Amino acid sequence: MSWGKRKKTGKHLGRGRLTALYVVLVLGSVMMLLPFVWMVSTSFKVENDIFSIPIKWLPQKITFENYIKALRVVPIAKNMLNTVIIAVPKILGEVFVSALVAFGFARFAFKGRNILFMILLATMMLPYEVTMIPTFMIWSHLGLSDSYVPLVLPAFCGSASFIFFMRMYFETIPKDYEEAAWLDGAKNLKVFYMIFIPMAKPALVTISLWSFMGTWNDLLGQLIYIDSQHKYTVQLALASFSSMTGETLWGPLMAASCMALIPIIALLLYAQKYFMEGIKLGGIKG
Amino acid sequence: MKKRQRAGFYFILPWLIGLIVFTAFPMLAAAYISLTDWDIVGNAKFIGLDNFKNVFRSEEFIKSLWVTFRYAILAVPLIIATSLTMAVMVSKNYKGMRIFRVIYYMPAIVSGVAVAIVFKWILDPSYGLINGVLSFFHIKGPDWLYDPDWVLPSYLIMAMWGAGGSLLTYLAALKDIPQDLYDAAMIDGANTWKKVKYITIPLMTPIIFYNLVLGIIAAFRKFTDAYVLGGAGKEGNFYMVYLYEEAFSHYRMGYATALAWILFAIILLLTIIVNWTKKYWVYSE
Amino acid sequence: MKRNILIWIVFLLVLSMLNGCSKNSKDKNTFTFATWAAGTELEEFQAVIDKVNEEAAGEYKIEVLSIPSDYYVKISTKIAAKNSPDFFWLTQELISKYAKMGALADITEQFKHSDSLTPDMYYEGVLASAEYNGSYWGLPWIANPIIVFYNKTMFDELGIECPTATDDWTWEEFIDICRQVSGKEYKGNTVYGTIIDGWPNIETFIWAGGGDIIAKDGETIVLASEEAKKGMGYLQTIIKEGLSPRYAEVASLGSNNVWFEKQRVAMFFGGVQDNFETKVDKMDESEKFEIGYAPMPVCDDGSPWSFDWTASTVMAKSLEGNDLAYKALEAVTKTFFEWKIVPPVKGSINNVIKINPKKEVAMETIAYIMDYARSANYIPEWSDINDKLWYNLYVSLLNDASFDYRSQMDEIQAYSQDLISKR
Repeated sequence: MSWGKRKKTGKHLGRGRLTALYVVLVLGSVMMLLPFVWMVSTSFKVENDIFSIPIKWLPQKITFENYIKALRVVPIAKNMLNTVIIAVPKILGEVFVSALVAFGFARFAFKGRNILFMILLATMMLPYEVTMIPTFMIWSHLGLSDSYVPLVLPAFCGSASFIFFMRMYFETIPKDYEEAAWLDGAKNLKVFYMIFIPMAKPALVTISLWSFMGTWNDLLGQLIYIDSQHKYTVQLALASFSSMTGETLWGPLMAASCMALIPIIALLLYAQKYFMEGIKLGGIKG
Repeated sequence: MKKRQRAGFYFILPWLIGLIVFTAFPMLAAAYISLTDWDIVGNAKFIGLDNFKNVFRSEEFIKSLWVTFRYAILAVPLIIATSLTMAVMVSKNYKGMRIFRVIYYMPAIVSGVAVAIVFKWILDPSYGLINGVLSFFHIKGPDWLYDPDWVLPSYLIMAMWGAGGSLLTYLAALKDIPQDLYDAAMIDGANTWKKVKYITIPLMTPIIFYNLVLGIIAAFRKFTDAYVLGGAGKEGNFYMVYLYEEAFSHYRMGYATALAWILFAIILLLTIIVNWTKKYWVYSE
Repeated sequence: MKRNILIWIVFLLVLSMLNGCSKNSKDKNTFTFATWAAGTELEEFQAVIDKVNEEAAGEYKIEVLSIPSDYYVKISTKIAAKNSPDFFWLTQELISKYAKMGALADITEQFKHSDSLTPDMYYEGVLASAEYNGSYWGLPWIANPIIVFYNKTMFDELGIECPTATDDWTWEEFIDICRQVSGKEYKGNTVYGTIIDGWPNIETFIWAGGGDIIAKDGETIVLASEEAKKGMGYLQTIIKEGLSPRYAEVASLGSNNVWFEKQRVAMFFGGVQDNFETKVDKMDESEKFEIGYAPMPVCDDGSPWSFDWTASTVMAKSLEGNDLAYKALEAVTKTFFEWKIVPPVKGSINNVIKINPKKEVAMETIAYIMDYARSANYIPEWSDINDKLWYNLYVSLLNDASFDYRSQMDEIQAYSQDLISKR
């Protein structure tokens, strides 16, 4: 779309207001990015430069030794691959099942719906630290400690917060869309697939991203269920840089953390296109 | 139930199965554990409601609950407001908005520990960035995490920084608002503010509701950065840090589980209240 | 339709994972050894274990389980699931606790009757950390006593007399040196005598006055004694007179040892293991300095002492009485003596130079202090007592030099004694 066209329709901001918006956004961005700047900058600093008074924001001497050291200490590519192996089935399970379940809650007023939904919310309220050990005890008893299964299998029953989100999202979709389909006698599942899923793309992308990030950043779960080093994930690899009794290797830790961020940022950038789609047209009138 | 209504039951079946298979046993176990004296490593000894009695007599409990509550009541609205504002600002498809969306969301993608450490330096009283900027304006910055009066604001700053986490949810919701509504409003002569007030926000209320409930849960369960950075010393630590230490540093899992159930009850109560108000302000078809 | 197929594919993927990750069947002579070592330390650890396995020639085999984070959470969770690692590292504060909880094997008999590693071979101060209730629960594998590292170059430039390697200097003298240093300008910065920020631990000061927190009998709290209070007085003096950077200022350099490396403090209480020598070697010429070593200032009654940080390898309860397991444990421990400094057995002091040649300059002090270094008398209630000591006493004093530490010590004593009476 060209500038000229926008101005004419008057729906969008005038030039002055737009500039102001950009200024505010840039200022805000600086604040948002500061910690990342620190991480990246530190990852290129020589060891002696990492801590100094006053804090140096830019490295005096750029060095790649932290990256080299990080790659030597942990096989980060393999760790990332492991995490992806866990993440992919988990995303597929969580996203599809959550959407399905949310549809059930959103569009069908079955008996006990409200109670069940409250229970769903309630499952998010008990800190997992206290259910962690009983859960581990079961998996261990089944011989599934040091395995990815406990981390992936539950995903196929949906995730409470994703179900919650999808339900709220579905509730914003005007009923008019489905009424037509149901009047035509379409089966429920078909309505779900043909109408809801396409319309909910941004929401589905959102929870997919969350699911991926959840796996990528889950330290405690992976720590408890994974023993063997060849099964290590990204978070476990990052944890290897600080020791209970030794010193933290700040430089390599920052380098590894930066490397761990890249896939997520890439995904985020890629996912943006789902938020950029054309604005919804008034489908009913047409 | 009408046949159509019953169909809904089949849709939620996977979740129900998961509830029974994966969730029920651990929760029942946790319920039992809260009635025992258990050091994790040994056997659990049944002691009835003693844990709960001890919790209510504990000074630490009151302190940490207060710290957490104070934080929650300020952080939740702050985060929602910040996030909504961010979302509205980056919602239009102008040039470069795509990058801004990622930038504002990025704080949510880093794991808690790395963030906490970086903020520790940013908030450093002597050489951190914030006090550095303040000194530029000849203001002497406070001791932030080392001053009991400034610990809460420190955490609020970190919360605002991470507010972009709900950005995607608001963007997804904003996308859904049919353009026709805005068109119609414009024809009626509405300006931007009126459009936001009467169209945007009302239609976003389901998502705001979602973030409100989740925000309350998250605020009360705040752990990772609190664990790394500490609370206000004697003023008390966050509730979850207290719980975690009781469980894994003092090996009093029974007591910690009782704490967990009390937290559960508090969050549940608040959520029920919020849910009850739903009909007054949340839009739904 | 396509989506259904996709979901089935994923399901099959998951099922195959189920098979791929089957539980390893455990042989009777394979033992898991859990450690908090990770990264480079883990590589070294693995090398040690490989060596031990090789020498065992099939009689037994040790497998490594590295726990890079939340070590005790995972250990206790595994023990709860009846899946305890066979051997694991335990720091000294927790040995009595884990022993009391019944997680550890009592190795007293095997230890006493061993052919190659008996209790009397250890330094007494170190061995005490593995004792509880009259039995031995683990084999210590490291002793890391606190010594004073000082910046010799700074001392010389400021014209201050250096302590000797086996000096019997007092705390008064130590504080005096601090006074001479603090506030002076050195290399463009204001320097301090030393740095106190929660490290060194509170025992350092309590013992300095000749007092202690818990008596040797493990049942009496002596925190409120005059000696202990006198020791804390030294801490108060240091804070009050600004001889150390303010607590709020310390974290700006990341951690306290950096202050010593960046030549902002003249003296640093460090463990023998602290690798300042390596760090200095890597510095630019203009930033290097000569490191001097001295023992802790002596106790008020003139006796030398140091706090010894030690850790032990313990054995799971289920292996109690298992001679093969003990044999493996012993073999591994002896190999650790060639890996970590300082080895906690008498007569092995020269291993230090073999393991870390750079420590040769410090040998005089290290050898001297090993006879006097000891670990504290830990009891199962320690975690609660420690919390009070830290939050109510140490931090309060760090934040406010005029804090009434004396009454606080009385309070904590009463609280701790009460805990013990509830046993």
